[in-house]
Amino acid sequence: MESLKLAWRNLFRHRMRTCITVLGVSLSLALVQTYHNFTAGVYAYMVDCGVKAGSGHIAVYRPQYLADRNPDLAFAPAPEDEDIARIPGVRAVLPRFYLPALAQSSRENRNIQLVGADVPREAGLNPYLRKLPREVLERPMRKRDAFVGAGLARELGLQQGSRFVITVQNGHGELVSELFHLRGIIESGIRDVDTSLVMAMREQVSAMAGAGNATHELAIILDNADMAASVFPAVRQRLLSSPEGLEAVSWEQAMPNLYNAIRWDYVSVKFLSFIVLAIVTIGVVNTLLMSVMERMREFGLTLALGASPGRVRLLVMTEGLLMGVVSMLAGSCIGSLATAYLVHAGFDLRPFIPENLEFGGVLFSALLYAKWDIPWMMEVAAYILLLCLGASLYPGIRASRAMPVETLRHI
Amino acid sequence: MTLIELNNITKRYMSGNQSVTAIAGLDLAVRTGEFVVLAGPSGSGKTSVLNLIGGLDRPSSGTMTVAGCQTDMATDRELADFRLNMVGFIFQSYNLIPVLTAAENAEFVLQLQGIPAPIRHARVTELFAELGMEGLQNRRPGDLSGGQQQRVAIIRAIASEPALVLADEATANLDSKSSTDLLEMMRYLNETKGTTFVFSSHDPLVIEQARRVVTLHDGRMVSDTGSRA
Ligand SMILES: Nc1ncnc2c1ncn2[C@@H]1O[C@H](COP(=O)(O)OP(=O)(O)OP(=O)(O)O)[C@@H](O)[C@H]1O
Ligand SMILES: [Mg+2]
Repeated sequence: MESLKLAWRNLFRHRMRTCITVLGVSLSLALVQTYHNFTAGVYAYMVDCGVKAGSGHIAVYRPQYLADRNPDLAFAPAPEDEDIARIPGVRAVLPRFYLPALAQSSRENRNIQLVGADVPREAGLNPYLRKLPREVLERPMRKRDAFVGAGLARELGLQQGSRFVITVQNGHGELVSELFHLRGIIESGIRDVDTSLVMAMREQVSAMAGAGNATHELAIILDNADMAASVFPAVRQRLLSSPEGLEAVSWEQAMPNLYNAIRWDYVSVKFLSFIVLAIVTIGVVNTLLMSVMERMREFGLTLALGASPGRVRLLVMTEGLLMGVVSMLAGSCIGSLATAYLVHAGFDLRPFIPENLEFGGVLFSALLYAKWDIPWMMEVAAYILLLCLGASLYPGIRASRAMPVETLRHI
Repeated sequence: MTLIELNNITKRYMSGNQSVTAIAGLDLAVRTGEFVVLAGPSGSGKTSVLNLIGGLDRPSSGTMTVAGCQTDMATDRELADFRLNMVGFIFQSYNLIPVLTAAENAEFVLQLQGIPAPIRHARVTELFAELGMEGLQNRRPGDLSGGQQQRVAIIRAIASEPALVLADEATANLDSKSSTDLLEMMRYLNETKGTTFVFSSHDPLVIEQARRVVTLHDGRMVSDTGSRA
């Protein structure tokens, strides 16, 4: 209690210096917290975009399909799919059929990636379809309606309503061609997608492939990514009885590009945070050491009067601790305010970069929002406290080694 | 009863790579209740002797016992305990901790000794009154005159009722009125409470007041008026 009071008064001796240091520590903490929350929000958003355009938070395949992408590895949608859709936390189950194909117009032909999907189910979720006008999506799908990537449509000279031919090789090695209508143009902004994607009704595509009513993938979209931990085992459970031995795969495995991009990005965030915290530590050491060096006589006097070196050390460390507590509280307040702002208003990068950003093969908007990560904020705050305490260790030792005979001589 | 006993004490300091002999074979005995002044010119070794007696430093050779503690043999820890419990110190200046009030400074040693706050307050309040310092308890050292600061230092030194009080040039920074007052105060405490005082000075006015004067020169005792107690 006494040393708390003494420490507090000592910090107030150089009010300006203490305030500047505390402000520096607080702002650094706020920066690290806010930056983390912002990137957490961005990653969550990227995962969300990624999983909706890609294979869902959890995807179901036949064994080996992910490795080979062999069109023969299809399976028939089964009643289990509906079971999966009823697992709490599952928002949608989207069956898809993938087939390499050739598209021909009167002008050109191109290799394409033909995706058979349940378009009405995808409509509200798939970011590729999101930009299409409502009337295009709401009109009931006809069997031979297709959505075509913008670049591909341009190259083939296709417009809304144009007809074109899609040719595929069926399971027996025969070529099968069918006529399709261009119903809508997909502008994803991702070059690969825009120049090669054609999305049509799944039953139609799988029938062309001679697979009947089949699917390669069940993309399971969750209400939010954090539910994967509970949904994943439930999905597995329901797949146990499937005759094809279907496997559930997390998005991290199904979309390694996105996963790795996020992981590497997160490493850089951590590294930056580490540097900020290291600089903070140096600042605190500097302030405390300066204040200790100015007070060597006082420490000499204290020791002369019979205080133990441990007590002197404790005093200096209490000063560090107090600075840590104040910085922790102030910094967390600032960090929370900044996060709250970024959660609600978001951070608009659009003036600086093109409207859409590509990251790990996923496209997302440049208006980005933060996401609360309170346990982590508390962890960094606690870390700041430890840093301040750690930073006071050496100054404390210096103070406790004051030599009374030396410091009290020549005054 | 002999309180302080120095036998053939020498103290050498290393100054650069040169050895300086501050005390050269000093024998000194002081009994409980004495009021001794160490006199002598600057550099004669007064501070060195007081530092040794107070357990702030150890002799280079010789043996010594102070208040039952053989301080030449003691460890750092033992010396710290010895200082805390046996000795009251008054230094020439910079005696007080600036962020503490006069009363808190005066209580500082008691606090280190772990005396409960109410007892500390009571004892220090009484001493403030006894030494004519009422009303100054809550001032910070910066708001006290030099003489008042030294009185606070005296209160701190005697509050724990140590076996002896050491004062190194405690009056050197004071005007003659304040020095006389301070000295009278020490005399008064010596007479009423029987506290042993050993202090150093080269002020003739101060030396005149002492019952026993030990004069040093170049680290040797050149005269000792002897114990008149
Ligand atoms: N820490 C030290 N390192 C080197 N030399 C020292 C040290 N302390 C004292 N001395 C030397 O020892 C001698 C005695 O010094 P001391 O301070 O004891 O004298 P003093 O009588 O107290 O002098 P003053 O009246 O100036 O205070 C001096 O020559 C001084 O320079
Ligand atoms: Mg001296």
